[in-house]
Amino acid sequence: MRSAGRGVRISVAVVVFAVSLEFWARVDDYLTYDAPFWGRYNSQMLYIRDTLGQRGKPNARYRKWKLNELGFRGPAMRHDRINVLCFGASETFGLYESEGQEYPRLLERKLNERAGRDTFQVVNAAYPGESAFTAVVRVPELIDAIHPRIAIVYPTPADYIWLPYLHPAESPPQSAEAPFDFRMGERLRTFAKGLLPEGIQSRLREQEIRRGAAAFAVMDRLPDENVRQFHDDVAHLVQTLRDRGVLPVVVTHASAFGPTLSEDDRRLLISWRKFYPMLKEDGFLDMERRMNETLRAIATEQGVPLIDAAAQIPATRQNFADFVHFTNRGAEVMAEKLTRGLMPIVQAQLQPSSTPKGAE
Amino acid sequence: MTQLYAAFLVGIPLLWLGARHAESARVRQMLYLAASYLFYLTFGLGSFAVLLASTMFNFWWGSVIRRRPSTWMLWIGILLNVALLSTFKYLPQVAANVAPTLPLASPVAHLALPIGISFWTFQGLSYLFDQFREERLDPTLIEFMLYMGFAPTVLSGPICRLPELLPQFRDTSKATWANVVDGARGIWVGVLMITLARFLGGGFDGHGVNWGFDHAGLRLGAADVWLLLVGYGFQLFFDFAGYSRVVIGIAQLFGIRLPENFRHPYLSTTLAMFWTRWHMSLSFWIRDYLFMPLATLRREAWWRNAMLVFSMIVFGLWHKASFLFLLWGTYQGLLLLAYRLLQQRQRRLGVSISGVAGSFLSWLLTFGLITLGWIMFRARDGSQAMYLLGQAVTPFASQGMTLPANFALFIVGVVAAYFVVAAASRRYAQGGAVLGGFPLGVRYVCYAGIFYFAVFHAADPQSFIYFQF
Repeated sequence: MRSAGRGVRISVAVVVFAVSLEFWARVDDYLTYDAPFWGRYNSQMLYIRDTLGQRGKPNARYRKWKLNELGFRGPAMRHDRINVLCFGASETFGLYESEGQEYPRLLERKLNERAGRDTFQVVNAAYPGESAFTAVVRVPELIDAIHPRIAIVYPTPADYIWLPYLHPAESPPQSAEAPFDFRMGERLRTFAKGLLPEGIQSRLREQEIRRGAAAFAVMDRLPDENVRQFHDDVAHLVQTLRDRGVLPVVVTHASAFGPTLSEDDRRLLISWRKFYPMLKEDGFLDMERRMNETLRAIATEQGVPLIDAAAQIPATRQNFADFVHFTNRGAEVMAEKLTRGLMPIVQAQLQPSSTPKGAE
Repeated sequence: MTQLYAAFLVGIPLLWLGARHAESARVRQMLYLAASYLFYLTFGLGSFAVLLASTMFNFWWGSVIRRRPSTWMLWIGILLNVALLSTFKYLPQVAANVAPTLPLASPVAHLALPIGISFWTFQGLSYLFDQFREERLDPTLIEFMLYMGFAPTVLSGPICRLPELLPQFRDTSKATWANVVDGARGIWVGVLMITLARFLGGGFDGHGVNWGFDHAGLRLGAADVWLLLVGYGFQLFFDFAGYSRVVIGIAQLFGIRLPENFRHPYLSTTLAMFWTRWHMSLSFWIRDYLFMPLATLRREAWWRNAMLVFSMIVFGLWHKASFLFLLWGTYQGLLLLAYRLLQQRQRRLGVSISGVAGSFLSWLLTFGLITLGWIMFRARDGSQAMYLLGQAVTPFASQGMTLPANFALFIVGVVAAYFVVAAASRRYAQGGAVLGGFPLGVRYVCYAGIFYFAVFHAADPQSFIYFQF
């Protein structure tokens, strides 16, 4: 009888503790990010769907990510600047960088520093999962809203690993949203994973990859058809921008992998493959190489400026928080490379005859 | 973060059990040393090699001084320790900023600072001083290695002295459950303080003390600057005092008492009192091993006063070799000197300010002067320091506030709560006792909160302010 009572007491204590943890997680979110105490709170709050597909939700906010009145990451739009538009995916949107340290923000600061006054506005029109295929359909409305002079095109090749994923209807099904989001769940999972030694974490990822790969024919390297599709979509985006009077600047895709791979790099490749189990690890390196060749070729074919970020940004862990996403320092390096590459181009924009279109 | 959690969740319970079952003090010492070195090794082999080299040298030189105590022997020991500290702490800055074109400047500029070097070098120095003073210290090599590399103190102090620790290392009694309860209370309170420091730094909505200082081009009025300075003063206090309380608590789990590092410093009513309550292990070190020996070299008052200022300059430069820390140390030294002269004058004239109003005014002046000094401690560079100082001392030059209202309210609330709790009860160090007064359910909610903030906010070692020193 006494042991039964003890068991009840321990169970009640565990339940009170667990519920309290959830309570404190919500207090923390509320205090730190002004998040709603009740109700759902996840990254999907940042997006809405319209007839063209997914886009940023105006004035949305989730944790450190804040969107402006047009649904772009960054501060409110100013109408007296020369606009530079950034196309890309999560690398451009910014995942790991501190707030305001994503490369489009830093690029804006650097361009204005070089100009000696607040002349430029860099608009970050990227969001995670955006591909050249989906970006091109947004070009008309973006240009009408922003009137950019220059567009940075920094496409992510990984979207082209499995072509059906390019079409939203054929993307992997999103798991149905649970009726209640247990905010402590993800935090505890991440915390527990962090406690495991790196070797064990890699093993767990490999198991997950094996399970994921069972549904696909695993590829050693990307089929030529995928590379062609990437070429056509980026070329289409570049051509569309040019047709609308915007100067596209193509930027090659930088990654954390140098010419020789360390053990750490191998583990990183496994982490990357977890998202695309159908492609073997070395296939990712091959993909980066071929896609960057493709981007260089597009710049030559269309006669548009190229900034070779892949060749210029050192592939170190100081610059990359994971396989392709920047750290604060990496974003700083990227912004510096872009600034150097853009300066000769933007000099022309600073001529007295140039007036910002938004100010007309 | 993972290292710290691994140490907490796995290492400490295992070590505690091992120590509990150790047959002798010597076996326990070996266990503590192995655990301490394993822990320190996670910060890099290079750092560990420097710690080991410093330990071996000081042990050997201490025994030389013990056998033949002489001033020049002591000076050699001091110079070699200062040289080691300078090589890693000051030389890289010189190489990077003053002489970047010299040969070897680049590798020197990139020398990694072994974590905690400022703390354990001062421990090595105090051992040499104590040997010179013939304090009859005869540690074994294991004991001395443990003294220098003891896991709780190796990263950021408190700066210990061998006469305090050696008897405890040799104590044959085993850690008890009561030690665990006492230690855990200290850890809880420390975690709470660190959490408050993180909130003050990060603020709400990303607008906190760090944002206020680091955001370039922010136009601040006098109220903003004072609010930021008070916020930073409390951020620094909660961060370092909280950290100190955690490590003191960890040592206490094993029945080892470390010296206190903070004792309600912001309740001090004089500057002299403040420096006996703020970073006590360093200020007492400076007093005992620097100020006192130097001040007693000559009898003249001017010499004593000059050594007071000099000691505080060293105190400042101990943090970092920068112009701002030099200024901060000088400022504190001059303030202490002014206070001393004022005290002498009051004594001569037989005037004293007493009563509640006098104490309050004295406290306000002390708090204001210390707070103003944080400008030099925290500013990014000289120009920001000048700007902040200019704004702080011209309250009517600007109107309105730039800092978000909720952040201002938070700082005011935290500060007010601190003073109420600290002044009214002086029991804030006894967190367990405070919680013990609540019903069990409320206690569990509090424990869950402390656990949550410890795991997700308080334990990122990179963000402890004093780790950079």
